Amino acid sequence: MTDLSAAYSAPPREDEQPVPMPRGRRRTELLMLGFAVVVVVLAYACAGLGLNGRLPASLPLYCVLFAAIVGVAHLAVRRFVPWADPLMLPLAAMLNGLGVVMIWRLQQSGRGGNPGVVIGTLSTSSTLLQLVWSAVGVAAFIAVLMVIREPRTLQRYTYTLGAVGLVLLAIPALLPASLSETQGAKVWIKLGGFSIQPGEFAKLALAVFFAGYLVSKRDVLSLAGRRVLGIDLPRARDLGPVLIAWAASLLILFFETDIGTSALFFGMFVAMIYIATQRTSWLLIGFFLFIGGSWLAGTIIPHVESRFTAWLHPFAGNNAATSSFQLVQGLEGMGFGGIFGTGLGHGQPYWTPLVQSDFIMTAFGEELGLTGLMALLLLFGLLVQRGLRAAVAVKDPFAKLLAGGLSFVLALQVFVIVGGVTDLIPLTGITTPFLSQGGSSLVASWALVGLLMRVSNSARKPAPQPIQDEGMTQVVRTG
Amino acid sequence: MNRAIFRLSLACLVMFVLLMINVNYVQAFQSSSLADRPGNSRVFYQQFQYKRGSIVAVGDGGATKIAESRLVKGGHGTYKRYYPDGPAYAPVTGFDSIFSKTGIEGTENKELSGTAPALEVHNLISLITGKPKLGATVSVTLSAAAQQAAYKALASSGHEGAVVALNPRTGAILTMASYPSYNPNAYTTLNGDKLDKIDTANRKNPGQPLLNRALQATYPPGSTFKIVTSSAAFSTHRVASPSSPVDAPPSLPLGNGNSLINDDNETCGDGHPPIIEAFLLSCNTAFGKLGQQLGGAKLRQYANKFGFNTAHEVPLATVPSVIPKVTDPAFEAFTAIGQYNDSVTPMQEAMLSAAIANGGTLMKPYLVQQVQAPDLSAIDTAQPTVLSRPVTSTVAGYMTQMMKQVTQNPAGTAYATANSSVAGVEIAGKTGTAQNGVNNTGLDDAVFTCFAPADNPRIAVGVIVKGGGFGAAAAAPIAVQVIRAYLKLP
Repeated sequence: MTDLSAAYSAPPREDEQPVPMPRGRRRTELLMLGFAVVVVVLAYACAGLGLNGRLPASLPLYCVLFAAIVGVAHLAVRRFVPWADPLMLPLAAMLNGLGVVMIWRLQQSGRGGNPGVVIGTLSTSSTLLQLVWSAVGVAAFIAVLMVIREPRTLQRYTYTLGAVGLVLLAIPALLPASLSETQGAKVWIKLGGFSIQPGEFAKLALAVFFAGYLVSKRDVLSLAGRRVLGIDLPRARDLGPVLIAWAASLLILFFETDIGTSALFFGMFVAMIYIATQRTSWLLIGFFLFIGGSWLAGTIIPHVESRFTAWLHPFAGNNAATSSFQLVQGLEGMGFGGIFGTGLGHGQPYWTPLVQSDFIMTAFGEELGLTGLMALLLLFGLLVQRGLRAAVAVKDPFAKLLAGGLSFVLALQVFVIVGGVTDLIPLTGITTPFLSQGGSSLVASWALVGLLMRVSNSARKPAPQPIQDEGMTQVVRTG
Repeated sequence: MNRAIFRLSLACLVMFVLLMINVNYVQAFQSSSLADRPGNSRVFYQQFQYKRGSIVAVGDGGATKIAESRLVKGGHGTYKRYYPDGPAYAPVTGFDSIFSKTGIEGTENKELSGTAPALEVHNLISLITGKPKLGATVSVTLSAAAQQAAYKALASSGHEGAVVALNPRTGAILTMASYPSYNPNAYTTLNGDKLDKIDTANRKNPGQPLLNRALQATYPPGSTFKIVTSSAAFSTHRVASPSSPVDAPPSLPLGNGNSLINDDNETCGDGHPPIIEAFLLSCNTAFGKLGQQLGGAKLRQYANKFGFNTAHEVPLATVPSVIPKVTDPAFEAFTAIGQYNDSVTPMQEAMLSAAIANGGTLMKPYLVQQVQAPDLSAIDTAQPTVLSRPVTSTVAGYMTQMMKQVTQNPAGTAYATANSSVAGVEIAGKTGTAQNGVNNTGLDDAVFTCFAPADNPRIAVGVIVKGGGFGAAAAAPIAVQVIRAYLKLP
């Protein structure tokens, strides 16, 4: 008789490599999370010192709250996705925290730099509210991890979520302007003092829908039709979905005058169809449809046309005082910050209208300088890279498409808004993920990271170890 | 599908790289052009967050602050500009308002605000050591005592006028006063509407308080121009020495039917007096005749050597003093005695005396003595330079003799108001009383140019009092007070 327990715990034999166990790296995550919290706390302290020459009175309260929020997120990760990528949560936490610090700093200055003069869009409780939204965002993040135990369970709700996404997108267009319009973009649902941007959530729902739809249709969509100029065009009848997506995004554009969101959806769809089919022709078709749509919008909608003029000639004539005022203020702020920035609390970002939402990156550019802006872009870039890495590593095609699409749309969103406020591309009013003031964007961004971490967990989770040692079965005797 | 994801990753990389290149462009390369854009609110309000450099008058050897930034509470800025003796120094300091900067505040703005290239190293060190950025101190050549005396004397005369005093050896401007003046402290408000009101009121004021008469207004030089006429006569050897006789008819025919006479129809000596006598009595016919003999071109040539017909920068801009081109004998005679279309700035009046006082060499007038970095190191110090040599030292000696007689000879036009016992110092000068207005109905402008001490000149003064009456009576006492203040005479 051989002792069974001894056989199980026997060291591997010399001639056999030990199977490397991938580690969850949760400690790394905790360490990085601690680092993120330290950076955010220091930024908050710096902003207070820069503004008033003393540490903010609310420093301990806000710091404990923030640390608690991200700490809970970490515990949830340990519990639900122990194998997930260790960098995603610290990256999201740091971006979220820096956004709150900047909103506090802007709220402190008030309109025209006068403390106490309240900016209409930035109330005295904005910071606390943003912290509450951070908590809600983390709750959404945990909920995603809890509810969706496997990415592919989402696949079941492909069409449900597609419908939900479309409805969410359509609501602001259908509501009267008084309940849905701010700053020329009709993308809100405003109820009382409370407003949400349903488009932010529609983005997630539609990503799931696209992933589910494309997984089932990818074989058909990959079928080659005619070959033109060395490119395999899809069959005409397969053009349907892409045309529908294009039409839908154009409708958003027309009815909600929101070129940013429209570009995000269409971009996400084209990217995902490309991942699914690997056909370059889809990219080209998408690209030309987008250019055509933009041109159409530019000629028809005055709001869009003025954005184009402001982009091309921000300083020409009277533009800097009218159509490109906000853009020029943002650029001047960034220029004022230069390479090293003025330091938190030392700049004058309050001259830029809506600096706490769309233009928050210019405030960072002003006070943290080129150095800080590059660092923030790297944080976003890393988050995108970790997401794409999960997409590459995961085996399930649905999860692969979902993670690829979500990572890409995150990158695209950063590109569209940061490129917009730095005059690289026409300005379109969308939020900067994690940084901008506003609950919808923050909650949706946290949910997005939740989905990416869920996919990452699936990708990195070690496969169940098959029992390889046949000899063990031989020691069991019957009779 | 991984190949497609890989390619999309590259697309993401491209997007981020584009963003990074663009922010580098905006923040590293476009930064300065954005800062220079008019209407950049950040750059505009930033100026109040740093301590702007002071303007200090050092002409007395001391250091009198005439403009400084003081810490204030609240509002956008932390610092506010303050002019301790505002109206007296306003023609020099100018003002630093949210819309514009004038005077030294304008011309030396880069130094005062600390943005001059020479201050970049200091700024970098301040940045690294965490010290607040400071502007450079600008020392001006003004003598506080002389400036205050000049402004006080002008104000008590009650007439519009200006005084300029120069150090004849260097060209340093010791006094630059203009009356009526304004209070530059009123311009430091950050309230645009309020500022607009104050500025509009000053602009509509018929007294023109914003006008820096010392540099920007011209008046007829009157008989003080006889300095130029005499200098030309000596230099061209038409008149050999101060004792050489000149033709001084009771009435000088002008060739157009009219004739020139002396003031109050006085005769001038015996009709052929030595030029020194004609000068001290300020006979019009003698110098009118000389002017006709020299010709308009020669008069203008010598006037130009003294600085006429040129806009100077001290660094504040002056308007040119004008001697027109004349060929008609009537106008030649008038031009030679400082009438017709002759016009001078008070600065030019001081330059006339300064050139004679400095042995015939005219030094370029300047106002900024030194620019000091916040650590008190000099980043720029004025070097006196020669502007021109209108006359030889011999001719300058002749002129000094003649100008001394104006104040020292009991018959001299300025004997009563500027002789040695009145002034306490020997002054060499020339009076001028210019008729103006239609048919000479306006009040006479009083002009006086002089230097002192006559044998060892330390200060040259030009005074013009518009509508003051006789130069000797209205302008000379002001010059005496300025000289006494500068020389610290009891």
